[in-house]
Amino acid sequence: MSIDAERLKLPLARPNVLELAPLYEVLRREAPIAPVTTPAGDPAWLVTRYDEVRLLLGDKRFGRSHPEPEKASRISTAAVQDGPTGDFETEEADHARLRRLLTPAFSAKRMRRLGENMEQLVEGYLDRLVAEHETTGVVDLHRGLAFPLPVAMICRLLGVPEQDTELFASLSERMAGTAIGEAAHEAREEFFRYMVGLVEAKRPQLGEDVISDLVRAQSEDPSFDYAEMVRLCVGLLFAGHETTVNRIGLGVLFLLTERSRWEALVADPAGRVDAVVEEVMRLGAPGDLGLLRYAREDVEIAGVTIRAGDALVLSINAANRDADVYSDAEEFNPDRPERTHLGFGHGAHFCIGASLARTELRVVFSALARRLPDLRLAKDVDSLQVRATLTGGVAELPVTWRSA
Amino acid sequence: MRVVVDQGRCVGAGQCVLAADDVFDQRDEDGLVDLLDPSPPQSRLADVRHAAAVCPASAIAVED
Repeated sequence: MSIDAERLKLPLARPNVLELAPLYEVLRREAPIAPVTTPAGDPAWLVTRYDEVRLLLGDKRFGRSHPEPEKASRISTAAVQDGPTGDFETEEADHARLRRLLTPAFSAKRMRRLGENMEQLVEGYLDRLVAEHETTGVVDLHRGLAFPLPVAMICRLLGVPEQDTELFASLSERMAGTAIGEAAHEAREEFFRYMVGLVEAKRPQLGEDVISDLVRAQSEDPSFDYAEMVRLCVGLLFAGHETTVNRIGLGVLFLLTERSRWEALVADPAGRVDAVVEEVMRLGAPGDLGLLRYAREDVEIAGVTIRAGDALVLSINAANRDADVYSDAEEFNPDRPERTHLGFGHGAHFCIGASLARTELRVVFSALARRLPDLRLAKDVDSLQVRATLTGGVAELPVTWRSA
Repeated sequence: MRVVVDQGRCVGAGQCVLAADDVFDQRDEDGLVDLLDPSPPQSRLADVRHAAAVCPASAIAVED
């Protein structure tokens, strides 16, 4: 296999939800920073090797804003990570302020304290699934566990009413939609209006939650734009829907498509779960693109000249399977000696929800292994419905087990 | 072993706390790194090195 002299067109078709396009292996070896055409039809650089992806994520010469946003390459028709965001002049300071505001609320220590609360929630979801299984014989783990847990947790942290779940689940899904054209951006507008309503309803009685913290901070800081605050609240609620939900689904699939993986976890859930979670974070590859950056100045890297304003798609999926970094890189092996990955990103934009996600994943996989040791997929992985969104993942996860 | 942290670079990811919570903590007020033990025992070297390696801001230095 060799790379066509013509520009590659993203996304690269993949065999199924667990595997990547074989072309990534060729790209890493022969063109780790390759010129591509984005799904939106614009030029960009696709970065596939671990070293360059990590380097670029940590390099301040690359950001999320663009000096002339209207001229910037667009990535997709989804309404997230589709183009530049933020003010080119003040990006670094604006981002530092956001991190300062949010970091304490999502700290590792606070998330660990939430663990017990999560365990109770998960026990409840599993009780319901077990009861449903008695009569149906097959249950949907996506609808009954992977979706409700992260959504309930982000609602509590943000102070968002859980009864609105259906509304913002649908808005999140449409915002990330890659096959619905303008409707993705309309969903973003609608989500914005919903959030303005929620913020104003909360304002007279602010509580101990992240949205209340942000409303307070915005009202005290004249340089903190109102619309920016609302967009941030939308982004957090969106992220709570579209990330860990998919990761739970992918993790269950990795574990159940090879019996020995599942049996190893079942044999020692407490001792094995952390390593399983990290391997799910490394190998799980939701979505077909990557993290978006724009060069702030001309940069020479890996023999390529990137011009100021050029767009780069940093493929976390490809970097996390780089054979120069990982032994048997495509293998799901929680015991591997390499303990790092880019599943939560790297650098200044490192995932603010990483500790929340890790805690959720740990609780979910250990509870599943403990309570449903005979768990099996009720449908072949290749026939599972995959979501047509930027964040990917499966839309269903039918499972079964021998009832005790 | 000597550990040095740079709070100016820290982005509050908390990766170090997960790697070695006897050496690193996050401050309640801003979530930034709090070095609990600047000279941990040599037996902790592997985890402390791991903490430095996974720090997304390269804010941890280790000298053995």
